[in-house]
Amino acid sequence: MATDVLVPPLGQTVDTVTLVTWYKREGEAVTQGEKLYAIETDKATLDIEAPASGILRHITAQPGQKVRVLSPIARILAPGEEAEAVPAPTPPAAPAGAPVPPTPAPAPAMKPPTTPPAGRIFISPRARRLAEEHNVPWQTLQGTGPQGAIVERDVRAYLQSQAAVKAPPVTIGPAITPPAVAVMQTIPLEGSRAVIAQRMLESRQTTAPVTLMSEADATALVELRRQFHEAGIPVSYNDIFLYIAGRALRQFPRLNASLEGETIRLWDEVHIGLAVDTERGLLVPVVRDADRKRLADIARETQRLIERARAGQLTPEEMSGGTFTITNLGMYDVDAFTPIINLPQCAVLGIGRIVERPAVFQGVIAVRHRVWLSLTFDHRLIDGAPAAQFLQRIIQWVEMPHLLLI
Amino acid sequence: MALMTIAEALRQAIREEMRRDPRVFCIGEDIGILGGFGGAFTVTLGLSEEFGHERILDTPISETGLIGVAIGAAMAGLRPIADVQYGDFLFCAMDQIANQAAKMTYMSGGTVKVPLVLRAPVGATGRGAQHAQSLEAFFTHIPGLKVVAPATAYDAKGLLKSAVRDDNPVIIFEHKLLYGSKGPRAERGALSPVGEVPEEEYLVPIGKGIIRREGKDVTIVGKLLTVYRALEAAEQLAKEGIEAEVIDPRTLVPLDKELILDSVRKTGRLVIVEEDNYTGGWGADVAAMVAAEAFFWLDAPIVRVSAPDTPPPFSPPMEQFYVPSAERVVQAVKSIL
Repeated sequence: MATDVLVPPLGQTVDTVTLVTWYKREGEAVTQGEKLYAIETDKATLDIEAPASGILRHITAQPGQKVRVLSPIARILAPGEEAEAVPAPTPPAAPAGAPVPPTPAPAPAMKPPTTPPAGRIFISPRARRLAEEHNVPWQTLQGTGPQGAIVERDVRAYLQSQAAVKAPPVTIGPAITPPAVAVMQTIPLEGSRAVIAQRMLESRQTTAPVTLMSEADATALVELRRQFHEAGIPVSYNDIFLYIAGRALRQFPRLNASLEGETIRLWDEVHIGLAVDTERGLLVPVVRDADRKRLADIARETQRLIERARAGQLTPEEMSGGTFTITNLGMYDVDAFTPIINLPQCAVLGIGRIVERPAVFQGVIAVRHRVWLSLTFDHRLIDGAPAAQFLQRIIQWVEMPHLLLI
Repeated sequence: MALMTIAEALRQAIREEMRRDPRVFCIGEDIGILGGFGGAFTVTLGLSEEFGHERILDTPISETGLIGVAIGAAMAGLRPIADVQYGDFLFCAMDQIANQAAKMTYMSGGTVKVPLVLRAPVGATGRGAQHAQSLEAFFTHIPGLKVVAPATAYDAKGLLKSAVRDDNPVIIFEHKLLYGSKGPRAERGALSPVGEVPEEEYLVPIGKGIIRREGKDVTIVGKLLTVYRALEAAEQLAKEGIEAEVIDPRTLVPLDKELILDSVRKTGRLVIVEEDNYTGGWGADVAAMVAAEAFFWLDAPIVRVSAPDTPPPFSPPMEQFYVPSAERVVQAVKSIL
C-alpha cells in the first residue's frame, strides 16, 4: 500500500523547512525507520526516517527546495505497485505577488549530464556580475543552468525572495541613510540571524524590561565546584546556576511565567534554556525539569545539548518549551549586562565572570571570588520587589550553597 | 515594389550598375551564351542581349584565367564582376586572390586599388564534396578582402551594388538553395526567399547586420541559409515560450560586431549556426569575439552548430545529416538555457 512521505510537523513556530538531501534515490528500496532525508529549519538540521518500507517513488522536492510541513514530498510503494504521482509540494507561503522565475523546459540529449566537481561552484559570468552588483552571496545559491551552473535567473530569484523577506510583519530596524564609507562585506539578514533579530526586537518592543544587577560572593561556589572536580564530577558553573535557578523558580513561580494575551500563566514545570554561542549564532537548548534534576544529571544534559548545538544537530523539541533562560558571558570577562528576555518567558538571568576581588568579608578586607548577576524581567508580569527577592534567593544560594541541602 | 528571387535581384543589381557605370563588366564561364542558363544559376540570364559580349565576357573553363583577368582589369581601372559558378573553384585561383588581389592596396601603399567583385555560390545542394562547400571562413581569414553573405533578395541587390562601388576586392557568397532560380536550374530542396525589392535605387551598406527576429532569451546568429534555419528554430522555440533573437550579419568582413554584442548583452546567450565545418569556422571567430568583449554578459557557454569536420557528402540522406537543421539549433538553444 502506498505511504506518503510527509514533512513532519516541527513545533508551532515552524511551518516551512528546506530539504537538504535525500539519502535514498528514486526507485531504491527503503526500510521503515532508516534515514530517508534531511531537512533544515532555521536552527537545526534533522534526519527524517522512512515512515514505511518499500520502494521510494515520486520524489517531488529537491535539495534546496523549501517545503511546508505536512506536505507530501514522495511516496513509498510496495514492489511492483503503481500509484498516482504525488502532487508537487506546497510552496512556502510566498507573499502575494511574489513572481516565480520562469522554468524553461528541460533540455534533451545534448545537455551534458555533468555537474560541478565537489567544492567548485559554476556560475555564469552574467550571473556573477549581477550577484556582485547586488552583493548576493552566490556561493549559497542552487544553480539551474547548464551543468548546474548558477545563471542569471537564479540570482534574480534570490533577489526577489530577498525583496519578499524584507517586508516582515515586524520591522527589523528603522530606515537609515548609510554613511558614505566603503563596504567590506554585506550579510543578508536571513536564516537564524533574521530569527534572532526579529525575536530580540520583538522582545524589546513588546515587554517592559527591567534589569536588576547584584554582586554575589561566589567563593563558596568556586570551592564547591573545585571539590566536585576533585571528586571526578565535571560540573560547570552553568550547571550549578541552572540547579540554583531551577530551585529558586520553584519558590518564585511568578518568574516562571508567560503572558498570553490578557492571561499570565504560571508554569508548573521549570524548563530552563541555556544560551549557547555557536557558529550558526545564538542557540538556546532547554534543560527540562531543571528544578527536579540532580546536579550530575543537569551536567550530563547540558554537555550533551551544548555538543549538539555546536554540531547543529539540535532538534526543535530540544530548543522549545523553555520557561526561563540563563545566559553566561563570564568567559568573555563581562561583569554585568542587560540580557534580553526570550519571549514568551518572563525573565532571564545573566551571569558575569567569577573573579577574585578585594571585598569586605567578616569585617575585614579579603580577596574573595565575586560574581555579578543580572536579572532582566518583564515588569508587566511582575514587580521589582518580588523579582529582587528572587535574585536575592539566588545570591543566597550562590554564597551559601549548603543551604540547598535543606 | 516587385517580388523577386535572389537570382533576379542580383541580375537587377548588375544591370543597374552596368547601366550606371560603363567600367562595370561581368566575366565568367557560360554567363552570356545565347540560349544558355545565364551562368550556373541564371543570375546573368539575358544580360548579354542588353550589354553585348564585350561586357558579359564568357571565358574558357579556367578559373585561374578568368579571375586573373578580373584582378588585372580591376587594377587597371575597370570594375569587374567575376562569377566562378561554384565557390569551390576559387581554390584554383587562391594565389591570385589571397596573394595578389587582397594585398595589392596594402603593398602599394594605397596607390593601387582592386575594385573587384567575386560572386561565389556556396552550400551543400546534392552536388558532392567539390561543389558544395561553405567557404566563408577561408576568405574571412585573408586581410584585405571584404566578405559579404546576403540572405534575402533585398540585401542581395543592395549589397552587390555596394560591392561594385567599393574600391576593395569584395567576395559575395551566395547560397545555392537561396537563389530561387527557376526551371531546369532550380535546386532540389531550395527555399524560395522571394522578397520585395524597391524600384528605386538603394544600397545596403557593407558592414551592417540586421536583426531578423527580436527575442530576449537567446541570440542566434546565422548567415545565408542558416539564417532561415535559425528562424525556423526560433519559431519552434517560441511555442515553448523561449524568445530567440535571430541576427543576420549580412557582411562577414567587416563584421557588425556591435549588433551581435548588443544582442548578447541583452539575452546573455549565443548560438552560432553555420554550414561550414566546425574547426576554425567563422562561428569560432564570432564566439571568441563575444567571449572577449561581452564575457560578463554571458549567462551560458557559447554554442556553435555547424557541419562536422568532413567534406559535404554526396548521398542525400548523409547530406541532410551533415547540414545544420532547425532541430539541431533548437537542441543547442535548450542545452544552454
